[in-house]
Amino acid sequence: MTLLAWAFLVLFAVYSSFPFIWTFLTSIKQPVDAFALPPVWLFDPTLAHYAELWFERGFASYLWNTAIVTAGTVVISISIGAVAGYALARYPGPLGFWLLMLALVFRALPRMAVLLPFYQISRALGLFDTHVLLILVLVSINQPFTIWMMRSFFMTIPADIEEAAMVDGCSRLGAFLRAVVPVMWPGVITTSLFTFLLAYNEFLMPLILTATKAQTLPVAISQFGAEDIRFWSLSAAGAVSITLPIVVLILMFQGRIVDGLVQGAVKG
Amino acid sequence: MARIRLCNLTKRWGQVVGVNNVSIDIADREFLVLLGPSGCGKTTTMRMVAGLEDPSAGEIWIGDRLVNDLEPRDRDVAMVFQSYGLYAHLTVYENIRFPLKVRGVPASEHDARVRRAARMVELDGLLDRKPKQLSGGQRQRVALARAIVREPTCFLMDEPLSNLDARLRVSTRAEIKHLQRTLAVTTIYVTHDQVEAMTLAHRVAVMDRGAVRQLGTPTEIYDDPADLFVAGFIGSPAMNLIPGDVVGGLFRAEGVTARLPGAPFDRPGVVLGIRAEDLRLAPEGEGQIRHAVYSIEPLGDSTLVNLRPGGTLVTARVAKDHVGTSGAIVGLAADPARLYLFDARSGARIRRPDA
Repeated sequence: MTLLAWAFLVLFAVYSSFPFIWTFLTSIKQPVDAFALPPVWLFDPTLAHYAELWFERGFASYLWNTAIVTAGTVVISISIGAVAGYALARYPGPLGFWLLMLALVFRALPRMAVLLPFYQISRALGLFDTHVLLILVLVSINQPFTIWMMRSFFMTIPADIEEAAMVDGCSRLGAFLRAVVPVMWPGVITTSLFTFLLAYNEFLMPLILTATKAQTLPVAISQFGAEDIRFWSLSAAGAVSITLPIVVLILMFQGRIVDGLVQGAVKG
Repeated sequence: MARIRLCNLTKRWGQVVGVNNVSIDIADREFLVLLGPSGCGKTTTMRMVAGLEDPSAGEIWIGDRLVNDLEPRDRDVAMVFQSYGLYAHLTVYENIRFPLKVRGVPASEHDARVRRAARMVELDGLLDRKPKQLSGGQRQRVALARAIVREPTCFLMDEPLSNLDARLRVSTRAEIKHLQRTLAVTTIYVTHDQVEAMTLAHRVAVMDRGAVRQLGTPTEIYDDPADLFVAGFIGSPAMNLIPGDVVGGLFRAEGVTARLPGAPFDRPGVVLGIRAEDLRLAPEGEGQIRHAVYSIEPLGDSTLVNLRPGGTLVTARVAKDHVGTSGAIVGLAADPARLYLFDARSGARIRRPDA
């Protein structure tokens, strides 16, 4: 039984990671091998594509754009999400309910529906192709999610501990800072990670709203080497490079993520 | 140490009245229990004293200060919550120390005070643990120590025992009573459990639907209930309440005929109240209540004999060695002086001046 289970799990792991393995192999193949049919499994590996990516094609500057946009999006939307989520968790009522519903409606809007207005407004305001624009847009797209997630997280923190702190000698704000803030980090970290992934991987918005200065990695990679035969290998090298930070991040925080996700589900 | 006065305290949320015109004068060092079913306003009353809820009307005095407009932290009260309200990220030691820290008590005093409070509730060995490593009873003790360490003018306890299992509840109850008498701090204690109220209180305020129905010592509310609600709420098993009519000084209901003390009178629509322990088995053919036995419940220290005349359950507490059979006709008798009479409509106690 365990053997069967293991066999299934290994098979499933290979099945799930196959696209990534294929991408990785492509990234260290010569273009001629990359295009070979049937696929070549034995070849002379090369790091030439990585070198070209980093040194000639300015991968670092796209990474920088992505980093700024992602960090800005995470910091702003978590700050707003934490404050709003806390308020909605502690002061429910009809207004809170309708605010949450409204947030859900905005979340449900297809991005295509807001793309053109974003484009025109950004042109009109002179924000086109800037980090600020991307941050603003991604925050607005992501905000409903962070509010909802932070709210459900705050709801698992009993109001009792704040009241206890207030009776013990804290002001209203002091009770929040001393009793809630120290225990809210699992929720903040989990929500931050989801926000990070959203901003980091976002393709459509930066594709339309940037040109040269603020272009982010996912858009850049899709265009690497589009002009010739090296397209696949170069793109694959870019895809691997863009994935690694995420893998590292997830590995670092996996315990926290599970904690945070579970915390919403069952009360500690 | 302080006297606490609640004057015409009222709490409304829109049309809903949570607490209606409650006035209680609590003496210094008194242990007052607010007792009632859920939703009766007892917790809201306490939360208004704590400052966690603003009264819609009325005044709250702690000592000689009107505290209506004071923040909770400025009222010098300590509160123990039903769910303990511990700080999960702090150790037991830091939890107990927390009030001293945020109140700016000189750091040199902290250690001695924390350890003294911990010792009083027997937490000495657990000071380095986190709350989640403690049992429910230990957590409640941390909450108690955190209240004690402050040496406040008043303790507020909101159902502190209801999350504990039955055994622990009994021992912690004794502990709370001992602590309160030792520390001699005015205490308001909220519970829905009449046994807690009876055992702990100097005085009990029985509340229902936002109002105080009766305020008195445990003995007073048990022996002299002010109305039908108090009579039915206090006591286990609950007081037998039999609806019927009084004709010529004789209470009549199906299976029940009881002569009431005093001059004969007529009054339809009444409820007769008799405590189970005031009923005894009567000799053959006698007793105010005569009916077939519905069930017999031996409790170990006594036995409950249940009858159902006219569909109303009537319970008598008799000697533990009583052996009877269901279905047999028995008679139950009570001292006429131990009969209570209530108005069926208003629930008010009917007192006869000549009785």
